[in-house]
Amino acid sequence: MRRSVVPAIGLLVAALAVAALPALAPLYYVTLMLPFMAYGVILLGLNLLFGYTGLVSFGHALFIGIGAYTGAVLTTHYGIRHMELILPIAALAAAVVAAPVGALCARYVKIYFGMLTLAFGMVFYTFLLKFYRLTGGDEGMRMLRPSLFGHDWAGLSKTAYLVGPYYYFSLAVLALATVVMWRIVRSPFGLCLRTIRDNPLKAESLGVSVPWPRWYAFMISAIYAAVGGALLAPPTGNVDPTLAYWTHSGNIVFMVLLGGFSSFFGPLLGAFVFIFLQDTVMSVFPYWRLVFGAMLAGIVLFAPGGLMGLVTRRPHGEAAGA
Amino acid sequence: MATTRREFLKTAGGAAAAGAIGLPAIARAQARPGVPSDPVKIGVLAIRAGIAAPVGAAGLRATEWWTERVNKAGGILGRPVQLVVEEESTPKDTVERYRKLILQDKVEVVIGGISTGVTLALGPVAEEMEVPWLSWDGTTQKGVEETMPNPKWAFRSVDNEVEAIVAGRLTPKYFKGIKTVAGIGNDYSYGHDCWETYQAVLKRYIPDVKFVLALFPKLGVTDFTSHIAAIQQAKPDLLMCSFWSGDATIIMKQAAAVGLFKTMKGVFTTAGGVHDSLKKEFTPEGLLLGYNTMYFDDPKGSPLLKQFVREYKAKYSEYPPYECDHAYFNIESYKAAVEKAYPAAGKWPSRAEVVKALEGIEVDSLSGKRSWRPDHVQMCNFYQGITTHKNGYDFVTINPIEVVSTKTAMKPSGAKLIEWINSWKI
Amino acid sequence: MTANLVGILMGGLFHAAILFLVAAGLQVVFGVQKIFNLACGSFYALGAYTGAAVVGYFTGHGGPSALFIAPLALGGLAVGLVGLVVERGLLRFVYDRDETFQLLLTFALVLMLEDLIRMTWGTAPVSTGGLYLGYGQARILGATVPVYNLIVIAASLVIALGLGWLLTRTAFGRIMRASADNREMAEALGVDMRRVYARVFTLGSMLGTLGGALVIPATAAMSEMGIELIVEAFAVVVIGGLGSMRGAFVGALVVGVLRSVAIAVYPELEMLLIYLIVIAVLLWRPRGLFGAAPA
Repeated sequence: MRRSVVPAIGLLVAALAVAALPALAPLYYVTLMLPFMAYGVILLGLNLLFGYTGLVSFGHALFIGIGAYTGAVLTTHYGIRHMELILPIAALAAAVVAAPVGALCARYVKIYFGMLTLAFGMVFYTFLLKFYRLTGGDEGMRMLRPSLFGHDWAGLSKTAYLVGPYYYFSLAVLALATVVMWRIVRSPFGLCLRTIRDNPLKAESLGVSVPWPRWYAFMISAIYAAVGGALLAPPTGNVDPTLAYWTHSGNIVFMVLLGGFSSFFGPLLGAFVFIFLQDTVMSVFPYWRLVFGAMLAGIVLFAPGGLMGLVTRRPHGEAAGA
Repeated sequence: MATTRREFLKTAGGAAAAGAIGLPAIARAQARPGVPSDPVKIGVLAIRAGIAAPVGAAGLRATEWWTERVNKAGGILGRPVQLVVEEESTPKDTVERYRKLILQDKVEVVIGGISTGVTLALGPVAEEMEVPWLSWDGTTQKGVEETMPNPKWAFRSVDNEVEAIVAGRLTPKYFKGIKTVAGIGNDYSYGHDCWETYQAVLKRYIPDVKFVLALFPKLGVTDFTSHIAAIQQAKPDLLMCSFWSGDATIIMKQAAAVGLFKTMKGVFTTAGGVHDSLKKEFTPEGLLLGYNTMYFDDPKGSPLLKQFVREYKAKYSEYPPYECDHAYFNIESYKAAVEKAYPAAGKWPSRAEVVKALEGIEVDSLSGKRSWRPDHVQMCNFYQGITTHKNGYDFVTINPIEVVSTKTAMKPSGAKLIEWINSWKI
Repeated sequence: MTANLVGILMGGLFHAAILFLVAAGLQVVFGVQKIFNLACGSFYALGAYTGAAVVGYFTGHGGPSALFIAPLALGGLAVGLVGLVVERGLLRFVYDRDETFQLLLTFALVLMLEDLIRMTWGTAPVSTGGLYLGYGQARILGATVPVYNLIVIAASLVIALGLGWLLTRTAFGRIMRASADNREMAEALGVDMRRVYARVFTLGSMLGTLGGALVIPATAAMSEMGIELIVEAFAVVVIGGLGSMRGAFVGALVVGVLRSVAIAVYPELEMLLIYLIVIAVLLWRPRGLFGAAPA
């Protein structure tokens, strides 16, 4: 228990810094925290699948898309503006889709799992693009400013709304998501996942069902992705099919790897570094994809434990939560 | 300072073509009274990757050309112009870049935006951030009617459907006896809107025309052999194609390989965007070809156009497409608006004053006079014509050239497109 | 009516011929090295741009247009040697790692190659102009088919046969198959895996670049074409079965012809149909038509 004091303090400091940011940092960088928080939620869920269950999904953008489009559909077509309603409905929508998809995918591992998820992701992308009368096609759909805890903050400009009420709302959602995920991975269920990840055959011989926990992990990660996706939409004000494209799935896996999939907080760190680094590089260098590709290659080759792996000096690729 | 370093690195990184961009120098006239002497920052959003990347590059090149000339002549009211360029990519990312330009770089105006998904997302953001946004392209009906009915800060390009309207009107003029028509367009709003518009217009002139096939391959498809086979199977009298990028060249080539246009007429509403890739070897004469709002070889073109074409060709080994003029007009109109608002303001005009000055303003653009309608929509001319091989190039040009103004070919403010088309007196 | 069917079929076959080359490259690498190379689309793009450049140089320096297919193919093959650089310089460091990392490394390659191509050739579409039409047309059962398409289909067939011969009749082919089946055993029997892997990956990348080069006269090289193609190639290998050359052949035929038929009969479906088949195959018979059983 003692060794967790220092990281706990670090965490507290980080949390305080994030909470105080709107008062301290330039306006633009505060707005950039919003996708960070949304991706934070998404990645917490993705890492449950990646780090703790050992399954790499190359189609997770599917659920980000579901979350984002849920928000758009609810605000534009059904007049539901309460974010507290939108998030659970997005979670529900994701669960409804994840149940059959997860059931089908959870039977497979590694490359087949990756391929199946990629295929499902692209089916959804194609659906969003082709059925344009329903979804808006390439132009997408508007997501109107949601109300938070009953207030619609109409008096505030969009920017003031984003760096004020919406910032703290997102932070609250991220904090809640983090606490819940922490409980999940520390629970017997979490232990079960790690067992299955490390040695499925042995797990089976011990009587642990292998597909069921994977399915639950899949469902949970899908729900997280949708909640994050719904959070992602209001700052843009519009959702579009590119949110579900396979390279978006690849990018979030990149983020998790960057932060370190072996650590609980690695994904959050990965989201933060990725977003701010991308922002800086994009403005300065037109060939930023080259830089990021090289970075990813570098991580895979030299620092597969990601940034957290470098910081805590864990052995390469050691499993999370060990 | 971060911005200055950004500009320097950008120059080094190759995004800016000329070294003078962002580092204004040479003839620097004194800034006028009431005008700050530091550079005026103009934000530019340009596409760098993907199928529309050449369009983004063309727009950026024209903007840089304009900037170099204007800075040599002293800038705007004596203030040098500094371009701050960000990438247009997905709607979400582009909105973030847009916010950065305004909140972090503190630009006076943002210019750019090509893809329909992006411009649709940017519209409301522009209104929220209260900084003028002059869009290069990307306007489709939904963008016009639903999200920005009465824009205060956003200035939209011409309705994209005008190309289809002009083509629809010219079709019966140049092609007699058309009874059946097939259409092929990209599978997104532009492709669908163009087809819908073309159909509506054609039906006014040829009431019993039959539309036998409509294909919408995804943007980025590079092989149309199967589509062409389907078109041949449908045996239309005419094929209407709204491709505007490399796929226009591809389909032209693949169509020539099976002699498609020997058995039917062809209408290419927007292939002028890739005009110098439509080589004579595979582009037949007798097609109706649209060049959107700028035709590089216009015999009636101004000295400005001729100079631009000459210098563009010398620098990039290509002939400039229409996006150059969208870009040129936007930034030129901004300058003109600032200069127009200055006398009354007595100092560098505020953004709101610039917006007011932009409404109704007319300037000399590359292709002739262009203006902003009071409802923030661009007004200009469209160029379409019949392809010919009789020229000094290895690609086709058009002769005769039809010049159609948006005064007659674009729906008036407040009207709904299809209703307006159906209300024409033929 | 027959003319239409033939036209549709020939369109599908041409597309299948190109898909086969790219898929074969994928299969060869997956079969032996168990790596799903996401960058296969990037090699395809590289071959396309390089092929066009080589042809441009050839005709620009007085080469007879009729022979353009020679420098095209050679250029395409030559640039495939980049695969060797990639394998020796990057990929070989992750052979003992988890599949996930290998996959992610190839994703990193996709990003890097995208920008490298853009840096070299810019973003404007690159093509070989009208050389495509230089070989004229053939009439098959009433349908007009460009002779170039027939040449490509024939070439693809020859390469398929060549690969089959390589795999079954040559020593290297036997080593490839043995390594694919049981790497440890092969190594125990004295096979130098490093050299095998280097050669196999280079073969895979050369097939991809050749595919890109051969297709370029009929189309144009455009920014991000590699990213678009990877999804189709992926569908082909899933349907055909990961690691199987026969699978690449049949899978390419299925995807190419079905797509062609869908366009003619029910255009809205097109790619959606292919994805649904992919999912169906993955669920009902995950090893595809000819693949080995999944791990």
